[in-house]
Amino acid sequence: MLRQSHTSRRVAAVAVSLVLAGGAAACGPKGGTEKAGSGSGAPGGAPREGGTLTVLNAEPQSDFDPARLYTSGGGNVPSLVFRTLTTRNREDGAAGTKVVPDLATDTGKANADATEWTYTLKDGLKYEDGTPITTADIKYGIERSFAAELSGGAPYLRDWLVGGESYEGPYKNGGKGLDSIVVPDEKTITFKLRKPEGEFPFLATQTQFAPVPKAKDTGVTYEEHPVSSGPYKVVKNEGDGEHLTLERNEHWDPKTDEERKAYPDKIDVRSGLDVAVINQRLSTSSGADAAAITTDTNLGPAELAQIGGDKQLAARVGTGHFGYTNYLAFNPKVAPFDNPKVRQAISYAVNRTSVVNAAGGSALAEPATTFLPEQEAFGFTKYDHFPAGATGDAAKARELLKEAGFPDGISITLTHNTAQNRQTGPEIATAVQQALAAAGITVKLEGLENNAFNERRWDAKNTPGFFLSRWGADWPSGGPFLAPIFDGRQIVTNGSNYNHAQLDDQAVNTEIDEIAKLTDLAAAGKRWGALDKKIGEQALDVPLFHPVYKRLVGKDVKNVVISDWTGVLDISQVSVK
Amino acid sequence: MTVLLEPAAPAPGALAPGAGPAPRAWRRLRRRPAALLAGGALALLVLLALAAPLLAQLSGQDPNAYHDDLVDSARGGVPLGSFGGISGDHWLGVEPGTGRDLFTRLLYGARVSLLVALGATVLQVLLGVVAGLTAALGNRLLGRLIARVTDVMIALPLLVLAIALTAVVPPDFPRPLLLVLAIGILDWGGVARMVRAQTLSLRGLDFVEAARLSGNSTLRIARRELLPSLAAPVITLAALKVPTNMVIEASLSFLGVGVKPPTPSWGQMLSGAQTWFRADPAYVLLPAGLLFVTVLAFTVLGDGVRTALDPRAGSRLRVGTRKERTA
Repeated sequence: MLRQSHTSRRVAAVAVSLVLAGGAAACGPKGGTEKAGSGSGAPGGAPREGGTLTVLNAEPQSDFDPARLYTSGGGNVPSLVFRTLTTRNREDGAAGTKVVPDLATDTGKANADATEWTYTLKDGLKYEDGTPITTADIKYGIERSFAAELSGGAPYLRDWLVGGESYEGPYKNGGKGLDSIVVPDEKTITFKLRKPEGEFPFLATQTQFAPVPKAKDTGVTYEEHPVSSGPYKVVKNEGDGEHLTLERNEHWDPKTDEERKAYPDKIDVRSGLDVAVINQRLSTSSGADAAAITTDTNLGPAELAQIGGDKQLAARVGTGHFGYTNYLAFNPKVAPFDNPKVRQAISYAVNRTSVVNAAGGSALAEPATTFLPEQEAFGFTKYDHFPAGATGDAAKARELLKEAGFPDGISITLTHNTAQNRQTGPEIATAVQQALAAAGITVKLEGLENNAFNERRWDAKNTPGFFLSRWGADWPSGGPFLAPIFDGRQIVTNGSNYNHAQLDDQAVNTEIDEIAKLTDLAAAGKRWGALDKKIGEQALDVPLFHPVYKRLVGKDVKNVVISDWTGVLDISQVSVK
Repeated sequence: MTVLLEPAAPAPGALAPGAGPAPRAWRRLRRRPAALLAGGALALLVLLALAAPLLAQLSGQDPNAYHDDLVDSARGGVPLGSFGGISGDHWLGVEPGTGRDLFTRLLYGARVSLLVALGATVLQVLLGVVAGLTAALGNRLLGRLIARVTDVMIALPLLVLAIALTAVVPPDFPRPLLLVLAIGILDWGGVARMVRAQTLSLRGLDFVEAARLSGNSTLRIARRELLPSLAAPVITLAALKVPTNMVIEASLSFLGVGVKPPTPSWGQMLSGAQTWFRADPAYVLLPAGLLFVTVLAFTVLGDGVRTALDPRAGSRLRVGTRKERTA
């Protein structure tokens, strides 16, 4: 489920093109995995230790507490300080969608029906103060994420752990723990789940699985100086995470950590900067900015246009795909969208070329006909049930409208965000409006301010009939992509309903449960893909595009690694020497 | 010119018997080429805005039609060709990302910008003059009440309130009218305060006293004696309000609460163009340049009108010695 968490950035597609080396490649062709080798950073030479890496960010690292972070795969800057039971594989492209062990010796052992997951810790794991990391601290870290004052994390733990729905955290009820997390000894931890969850290893990558020593827990102020289990420790935290200085954690043993390279000696995270300023500073690369990256700022279309002619600059642009889909959502409870023919007509009429251009052009968006992102990890199965071609099939749309009883066309309202975000904003809405006009569909635009817009689209009782929406995954799999959107039991009236179409189909619900039981993720992927294709026949939404992320790095930055999990460069792999 | 000591302002028309104030002002205005040029530019702009559909037909372009083939999709949607894609079909180039024709969008945008700015100004002047006169001539309690309300109106954060107002009104309400009402109703305080101050100083002058002693009613004095004297400062302030209102409209559209897409307005175009100033300068310079020229023209014209209407400007009755005046 997609929150605007700056720590988890996203990307999608089969074509994992790393447009890095020498401005060589444009966006890769579909189907092929064009992979730049490791060490594909801008300047030549092998990565070396030392130096200071500067991070120029827009959003401050406030809530730098493992309980409060909402990240995909443990986040970027957070994963330098917080190690978790499992983590994402720090490799380019599709290989980077794999989940690998971090603190644990493996990605977890499940019981027969995947309702119990057991992990064993590696030897020689220590905190920044040299004390050993124990499974009791991992249990405590998870428990404190249930405390109301430390809210912000993903809802999975609450939903999945036995007793999670009523647990209030270790600060209440005399410090009572959560019985479904069992710690038989210092090295072993077992999680008892309410229902089978084959994707538990993915969940164990989130920062809530980082160990927190109970004696060092200071509650809401823990975020100022969280105890490090990773290669760096926080030495200074100014302005509530606006300026973070990280230095080496001498007690981190690289032999226990195959994922984090930790080349720089020091990492200086500066936030609160304007997006345009960040990109300008990275592009100029003068002084300390030569060894700078950003972990939250993408290049926009105008910046890409400007870089276009400059080969040196283009060589410093990293391209990545995160599992994300932007789509037109229908609420079939609102007429005329209750009529499948009307929904199909709109599917045929959409001009994905204009939509992609409005989203920033083909370098920043790829046209989508499936709800799942185009990556094997998600179980991507190609389909195009209502082929609109590149620019829309107005004739076919008119025909369907006639069959639906609207020979003279129809007039509908499209609800969108007034923020010019090129995602759910007026640019996309106008492109859709213009394309539908050719098919005799008059679209009235209803622009809502960002908060009002999100309130409306997540309000099950008052969902608009036709609106722009988007969805990204918490980890690269079909589960967190399809279940919140199409599982009938996830229709909620608490203001966070993501099942816009309010689909409650017994067959779909059962299949979601069945796939969740699988611990073989490849087999699960195939079934997620098949399910997506099946649901797609109902035209409950019109997939528009999958965004592509492009980011600049400073001219001295080496070893740029961009996985398909996060779609952005991995800070733990970067070298500046 | 520096007026060191102001003699009692003569009643309008007293200086040049035989000629009304309007022809005299026009004669003075004619001698100011900058004001005439500004006026000419504005007249041309209004004409172009009025003829927008005709000109769009002439150029063969629809302001809302997308041209995906005219932008370079792989490079962020920058227009193909030089100077923002200027061609025989698209006289001022096309918009990045959409390929919409900029010439017709600017023309239609001028309609919104001018309509909203002029409409709001008329409303502001009407409300301001009524409130200002009432505050100055009404009884003490009413006068004070209106003066305080005026102060509050001036202190109100206009943009915030306008955003709130445009957000609560039903979506079907015509946006340009809503903008006129929002700006007009929220920003009349300046006019009211000026009118009140002028009226208070005029009220004590001989010709007003004379009218009052002759038994004229307050309403008649306001109409016959005060309004003609107030005309010059009010017209001047109005001419300066128009560009301000134009900028407010642009700001509201810039913030996404102005006219609805796809209707173009200069502010909305500027909003979309803000990131493009380096990659496609033409896209930014066109709406920004037009807004700049229009605001400047209104300001110069306003200044010219002020001087032309100022009874002292053409008078040989100067104060102080020549030496003092040129010093």
